[in-house]
Amino acid sequence: MALTAPASREELAALLADMAARREGVRVLGGGTSSRRGWPQDVPEQIVSTSGLDRIVAHEPADLTVTVEAGVPVERLRAQLAAAGQCWAQADDRPGATIGGLLATAASGRRRIRFGPIRDSLLEVVLVTGDGRLVSGGGKTVKGVSGFDIPRLAVGSLGTLGVIAEVTLKLWPAPHAAWFGAEGLTAELTEIAERIRGRLHVPGAIVLSNGRLDVELIGPDTDLVAPEGLAPSHAPPRPAWDATVEVGVPALRLAEFATGLAAAGMPFEALVGVGSVQVGVGSVDDIDTVRRQATARGGHAVVIDGDAELRTDAWGPPPPGLEVMRRLRQSFDPAGILNPGIFLTDTPPAGARA
Amino acid sequence: MATTAVSLADRFRAVLDIERVIEHPSELRLYSRDGSIAEGECGLVVLPDTTAEVVACMKIAAELGVNVVPRGSGTGLCGGAVPLAGAVVLSVARMREIIEVDAVTPCAWVEPGVLNLDLTTAVKHLGMHYAPDPSSQSACSIGGNVATNAGGPHCLSAGVTAQHVMAVEMVLADGEVLMLGGTAPDVPGYDLRGFAVGGEGTLGVVTKVCVRLTRDAPMVKTMLADFNSVAEAGGAVRDIVAEGCIPAAMEMMDRLMVRAVEEFVHADLPVDSAAVLLVEVDGTEADVAEQAAMVERVCRTHAANAVRIAVDDAERALMWKARKSAFGAVARVAPNYYLHDCVVPRTRLVEVLESVARIAQEHDLVIMNVFHAGDGNLHPLIAFDRRDAAQVARVHAAGEAIIRTCVAVGGVLSGEHGIGLEKRDYMPLTFSATSLAAQACAREAFDPTGRLNPEKVLPLGSRCGEVVLDKDSLPPGTWL
Repeated sequence: MALTAPASREELAALLADMAARREGVRVLGGGTSSRRGWPQDVPEQIVSTSGLDRIVAHEPADLTVTVEAGVPVERLRAQLAAAGQCWAQADDRPGATIGGLLATAASGRRRIRFGPIRDSLLEVVLVTGDGRLVSGGGKTVKGVSGFDIPRLAVGSLGTLGVIAEVTLKLWPAPHAAWFGAEGLTAELTEIAERIRGRLHVPGAIVLSNGRLDVELIGPDTDLVAPEGLAPSHAPPRPAWDATVEVGVPALRLAEFATGLAAAGMPFEALVGVGSVQVGVGSVDDIDTVRRQATARGGHAVVIDGDAELRTDAWGPPPPGLEVMRRLRQSFDPAGILNPGIFLTDTPPAGARA
Repeated sequence: MATTAVSLADRFRAVLDIERVIEHPSELRLYSRDGSIAEGECGLVVLPDTTAEVVACMKIAAELGVNVVPRGSGTGLCGGAVPLAGAVVLSVARMREIIEVDAVTPCAWVEPGVLNLDLTTAVKHLGMHYAPDPSSQSACSIGGNVATNAGGPHCLSAGVTAQHVMAVEMVLADGEVLMLGGTAPDVPGYDLRGFAVGGEGTLGVVTKVCVRLTRDAPMVKTMLADFNSVAEAGGAVRDIVAEGCIPAAMEMMDRLMVRAVEEFVHADLPVDSAAVLLVEVDGTEADVAEQAAMVERVCRTHAANAVRIAVDDAERALMWKARKSAFGAVARVAPNYYLHDCVVPRTRLVEVLESVARIAQEHDLVIMNVFHAGDGNLHPLIAFDRRDAAQVARVHAAGEAIIRTCVAVGGVLSGEHGIGLEKRDYMPLTFSATSLAAQACAREAFDPTGRLNPEKVLPLGSRCGEVVLDKDSLPPGTWL
């Protein structure tokens, strides 16, 4: 295996153009925190790392924007933003991840109910397509509708439309916040959670897990008082499971879905008011159960982390628009060299039930 | 041409009632324009009532190979709904049912012809509203809002249309119906829902939308501050944000605009001031008190003459009426206006406004400003009389100068109106040919035939050819 870390986007473009000409597949690597993802495939000989693209290009505190290269570790960006009293509120805190990796995997944070998903934070992207074209989309200002929204396509694309080289992000003032929590029966906690959501004016986060509810409040000190039934606490620990399924269900159906998981004894972390749930799984049967429960409620389930044998049906049934997605992949990566075989636009491996 | 039009109309009359296929020349003229100054040529208008009828229309158009321009209320400001060369206009204006309101999520399923303000009015009793609020909200449709990714004053903290659309049902050029997105978050695959918002009618016809509703804040405070210089007002905008506050809305009007609006609305506006800032903060009682005190302090630091706080809903409504009547008020100054929509970094606002004033002088024109200051989203409005050909030429020259000024400081062509026809040829100012070709590829992934709203958004000649890359032909830096 050969690992290359281009030091500039031009180098990256030249490298990919060369690989495309030879039709040689590459694995795109950010921080490597989300590499067990998509349909299982042999890792290509060539690995392209974004670690050489590691500059924070421009941080304009008064504009609430930052332009960074994709290989910058999220911890480094957070530290710089915190020093200016700001944050990238829409993104997950995944330790060891890069900015490009969080965007390519659409890793939204727990504060989504208040600040929205990570897709809403990407103002401009510079992509290097699978045939080495340098494509920019969007714009550096906090608002803009100039042309077709290439940034939206890049977020969650797992690097299959292009390697994210540089981005401009929309920031928020760092909120004044505090966590409150309670333990109990999941069914009862879901009721408390829904009540809090109905009464409070946009909390920072409502995180439900097996037998535990954690709520983050944001606002002036006088607003940071424990909701009924909850006591001051800390941010809940990040889940750490051998394999994880990411579920989306309508927010309206989240309580019953979560109660079902708890009854089945499956570990999970759910964002109340959003409908996003991460579930810890140990077997293909677990995945089937979770997917069945999600689908029955108008949702979907994708294996986002796990050994190869758990990912033979990583994506589940394809969503509407698969043909449009295939045409996108074909025109942005004509030789199909970027992370070949893992994305749902690619040919499913034998054993997938899609 | 006449015979073609007749047979074309007959084809559509096979699937729509006779009165829902329009071919009378005087009516076609109405559909040959939108809210911009562009004028095209409309071959036929069809008015479907249902998704099934839209599918039937699209299949006929596909079979005959005719171009189709989807249309909402036609209030767009950049020519996006203007049909060219006799294209068929497919209006969704009759599809205006609010299908379902889910007060818990909360969200609403609506047909594309539902007017923006009608939706907010319909859910008001639930203590909620639809957040994006373009100035044209009493006339513009949700479908049109989706097409342009519309904004509005309250998008400063709430975000533009794309952040409020959960699902879009779209009929493609070949008649295929796709449901993109959904009430469950993060549908697997590429974010086609997100991409479809802002597609300006080139990707498909939007036939159903699920929009997120927003709960009304427990408390709102609306303030009006006036300044003796645009620079001080701009400084206040910058410092309010720098202090860590994103108000619900932060709008600015310059002297010319304040005077026009005051004559129109009679809101007791400070007509002698150089600039007026309208700031609204919302949230809990404590939060609002804290934000309002900070806004007032910053405004006074920047030598505000007065900071007037709306004492009740009536006064608050009047302040907003003043802001949202701005475009209507211009009619008292000149019969026509040409509106720009550039966004610049907040930190460059003042210098760009000074440049705009200089451009007005140089081209001997009246340019008025009313805009979303908090976002840096300018709306320089050039008042003119279209009967004066020499003046029209100066209007276009000034418009180009404004755009170039904004781009030069790192700005973009449009914040919320879109590109359409009017800004299309400026796209190369911000995108390389390679980037424009990539946008063409993305568009063609939805409509490989290019028959949906052709010649919009991308400059003529932008094609999605497979690029055989010769890296020596791409010197570093040429992509931007």
